Amino acid sequence: MKSLDPRVNRLPGFGQGEVQPKAALDQLGTYEVFVQAKEGKPFQHEGIVHASDIELAYILAKETFTRRFTCVSLYVTDTRDVYVSPLSEGQTSAYDLLPAAEVQQGEQEMYEVYHLVKRGKQHVHAGEVSASSPQGAMQVAKQQLGVGKVVYNVWVIRKKAIRYTTDTDKDLWLTLPDKKYRDASDYKAGDKLTAFLEKAKHAV
Amino acid sequence: MYGGGNTFEGIKTDSLSQEDPQKLAEFEARIARGEKIEPGDWMPDMYRKQLIRMIEQHGHSEIIGALPEGTWITRAPGFKRKLSLMAKVQDEVGHAQLLYSAAETLGKSREQMLDDLITGKSKYSNIFNYPAFTWADSCFISWLVDAGAIVNQLANAKGSYGPYCRALERICAEESFHLKYGHHCVIYLASGTDKQRQMFQEALNRWWAPMMHFFGPSDKISAHTEVLMKWKVKMSTNDDQRNQFLDMYVPKIWELGFTIPDPKLKKNTETNKWEYTEPDWEEFKRVINGDGPCNKERLEVRRIAEERGRWVREALKSPSMRYVTPLA
Repeated sequence: MKSLDPRVNRLPGFGQGEVQPKAALDQLGTYEVFVQAKEGKPFQHEGIVHASDIELAYILAKETFTRRFTCVSLYVTDTRDVYVSPLSEGQTSAYDLLPAAEVQQGEQEMYEVYHLVKRGKQHVHAGEVSASSPQGAMQVAKQQLGVGKVVYNVWVIRKKAIRYTTDTDKDLWLTLPDKKYRDASDYKAGDKLTAFLEKAKHAV
Repeated sequence: MYGGGNTFEGIKTDSLSQEDPQKLAEFEARIARGEKIEPGDWMPDMYRKQLIRMIEQHGHSEIIGALPEGTWITRAPGFKRKLSLMAKVQDEVGHAQLLYSAAETLGKSREQMLDDLITGKSKYSNIFNYPAFTWADSCFISWLVDAGAIVNQLANAKGSYGPYCRALERICAEESFHLKYGHHCVIYLASGTDKQRQMFQEALNRWWAPMMHFFGPSDKISAHTEVLMKWKVKMSTNDDQRNQFLDMYVPKIWELGFTIPDPKLKKNTETNKWEYTEPDWEEFKRVINGDGPCNKERLEVRRIAEERGRWVREALKSPSMRYVTPLA
């Protein structure tokens, strides 16, 4: 085997190695990524990244989802820290499918609440609630954010489990305006094409 | 970048008879209403398997597709072209991540997908088994292979599986840069010196056959896709996509004064369809099954990259060291 690219031919062990199957968790765990498209707009779920810890997840989320000014802020949380309601359909709200839970006494913590209001779309931030457990947070969210609404799926996340964007992180996006070469608008060749076509016409 | 319709393999419909008929009817009614299927919803086993296969192949195509172009980054003509090509290759690898994530929601781990790519168990878009000899080949890929991929992806973005559609919307937005960049490069070659024009013409001659293969076997011979169309897994037939591509790009290629190496290529004004020499489907089959000019190299490069990154992933997995300030 010989490649056209000399650097490929120089790869150590090129053409000689065996495939080593990957161990479980070779690709690390997953983190959920939430982004805010514009100042004042709600955060929404954007996707996942694989990472070894929440700091790396934050950096990878920035690289994966915000290469082109697509958000002003983002945050990440370990997938295991998202507490998920059942999925409902039709006119049934996911809140009505929650298992009955006694509201427990205990230390109150803040939770972010996400709603799926249209199937096929992303989960969108609905508000925050205070509760002593994720189950409790679901119940509080039902009363405070879910009345009279059809919500197909609810996620609650303990705020302490979230890696938010801090003020000093915001300069992560400061160099983006210089990276015009990532945008289609930087590749205008209309004039060149018109000149070429004009020349071709005269040549004929 | 992905062409879809990549195999001749038939679809096994026998598992369908074992599905709960009521659940199946509800599932099909949901799709018929235009609603998306989400990861927590009930779905037939065959739907899950087909989607995993399709999304995974799409992800692999992004990773492998970055190789023939990536090899041109250091040799791209000038700093600006290097920057653009680097940004494009970064996008492609990012797309693979989005797609693998969508496939993961259906229950296949990323470890397994990467293993299946390297062992050759899973396929990727056949076009990347051909080499990029010159800079003009890289321009052909950026412009026309991406254009083909956009035709396919815009169709699939209207499919039924929520996470795949959302990934595709994001991908299509980024592909618009690839397409404009590619066209920009080709316009510069076309309006350049005779040597530059000749370079692109030669690249076009090399890549036209793989490009025609890109959308998959002709509808006449390709495996049964009715149930996949009904479930909105496949959104249009291979021939329809090929026709749409020809409609959009043949005039743009001709406008630049290049010759497409197919004497039979013309649009039938009555049927509104393009006519062309039937692509060599035997070659397509042979290359998909491993006997193309670059199959081995592509997988070997991928294997070495995985191997070389292994220690990094392992180190990340168990960060046992912690820094403490020295005592004295």
